[in-house]
Amino acid sequence: MRTALSIQSITKVYDGLRAVDSLSMEVRAGTIFGLLGPNGAGKTTLIKILTTLMRPTSGDALVEGHSVLTEGTAVRRIIGVVPQENNLDRYLTARENLVLHARMHRMRRREFTPRIDELLELIGLSGRQHDFPDTFSGGMQRRLVVARSLVHTPRVLFLDEPTAGLDPQSRRALWEYIQSLRSKMTIFLTTHYMEEAEELCDRIVIMDHGASLADGTATELKDAFAHSHLYELEFRANTDRYEGVLRSLPCIESLERKGNVFRLSLPAEEHLKPLMDAIGSADIKRICLEEPSLEEVFIQLTGRKVRE
Amino acid sequence: MFRGAFTIWGRDMRVLRRSLFSELLAVIAYPLTLYLAFGVGLKGYIADVDGIPYSLFIAPGLISMTAVSAAFEESAWSMWFHRRVQRTIEEYRVNPISVYDIVIGKIVSGFSQGAIKGMAVAGVIFLVTPFRFPLEHFLVYLYFIAFGSMVFSCCGTVCGTVIDKPENIGRVQGVVIVPLIFLSGIFFPLSSYPGSVLPFVRMIPTTAIFEGARLALLRGVMEPEYSIILAVTAAVSFGLAVWIFNRKIEE
Repeated sequence: MRTALSIQSITKVYDGLRAVDSLSMEVRAGTIFGLLGPNGAGKTTLIKILTTLMRPTSGDALVEGHSVLTEGTAVRRIIGVVPQENNLDRYLTARENLVLHARMHRMRRREFTPRIDELLELIGLSGRQHDFPDTFSGGMQRRLVVARSLVHTPRVLFLDEPTAGLDPQSRRALWEYIQSLRSKMTIFLTTHYMEEAEELCDRIVIMDHGASLADGTATELKDAFAHSHLYELEFRANTDRYEGVLRSLPCIESLERKGNVFRLSLPAEEHLKPLMDAIGSADIKRICLEEPSLEEVFIQLTGRKVRE
Repeated sequence: MFRGAFTIWGRDMRVLRRSLFSELLAVIAYPLTLYLAFGVGLKGYIADVDGIPYSLFIAPGLISMTAVSAAFEESAWSMWFHRRVQRTIEEYRVNPISVYDIVIGKIVSGFSQGAIKGMAVAGVIFLVTPFRFPLEHFLVYLYFIAFGSMVFSCCGTVCGTVIDKPENIGRVQGVVIVPLIFLSGIFFPLSSYPGSVLPFVRMIPTTAIFEGARLALLRGVMEPEYSIILAVTAAVSFGLAVWIFNRKIEE
């Protein structure tokens, strides 16, 4: 498969801080690529470099073969950008916002008129096309920003936290819309929502302190970083006695209790048998294996400390 | 070339057109009040200045003042608003247009607004007062209005580019722009300045705008010294505005 994005040893230093640190990676064309990381990990800086808003301190990146350093205009011609904050023009109507974008891309009226009609219909704003964005809900504004980024049919679409601040319904509607773009273009997405990354992305990179920490599909990441096996165990009776037994077992790495339910982790599957031998089956109401979540992988890699 | 600048200018003119009546009403009120207060109110006390009736003496300056103030305000506030509040500058920058397109579009918008508003004030003064001038004088006067608006539009663009806090734009207007305008002889002749200071006052670009504009409109004279100062200032301020915007964006 063709490479849509090629990031080559990109470093960005601000005031001595390395926001992006010798990052290299490639993104295949026609896929949805997710970049995860805590606040200040370098995600937005990387998007700004890839969309030519910022120059890297060193390194280069190719977008569909065009260098962000030397072919900025060519790069901007083939990309669409949805920034973190809505930057719609509140003095122009919804339709005029799209027309302005089309004109910046040197599209002719006969080209952009049907395209804008189609996009407005698609995002459900046809009836509000002559209204100003200030009168729209957050979800409608976000959909309009996405539509604006698609007017010129970009080959690579950058979405920087596209669903931040949206209610679950608007978020799901936007997901469906992003899903519908799959294979029509390459999508580079940053998000804080693990569920969003799992739902949408073909490939995920977790980054922190400007560097890539993990790379793969959601399943691969969970398999690779889920070192322990999590079980949930519920007893019918004698829970206090069983807690004592469980705490005495050396194979249990961690143990949490909530009423009659225990959540415990074992280093490997083979420790399950000694555990069952120790507690028997008389009072067990339920035992189940918990799938590791992407969020656990994320926390494991980036830590629990809240970032400024 | 500069198609992006034209698109941005077109956007600004569309927005202006929507609120043209209220904009013009607001912009006409201030100079017209000054004209009535000074031109009519002081008519009995100041007969004429350098042989020109006082109400005629101040009219060209008031028109020019409206034009350059509007150019400054539009450029400064528009640039600041689009950069800091609406963040549309960021949207412009991910399109296949250059940084020069953005800054030139914004400068030309400021200049256009200044020219439109100046002409509106001229029209009203012409309608409600006995102030009259020959058409050929007006054509010379346009040179000063155009370059004056360009200079102030560039200054406004620089302010809107480098100043992050809106109150500081107001301070620049109060401490730099308004004194420069008022001390350039809108309401009094330059001969009021001491002889030792006068050569320096004549070198100030705002003097070139207001004094040059008055000589052009009332006497049809294109003063070479003023026209050269103004053209050079416009070129330098344009280059500076583009350079500063480019550098700020690079940051």
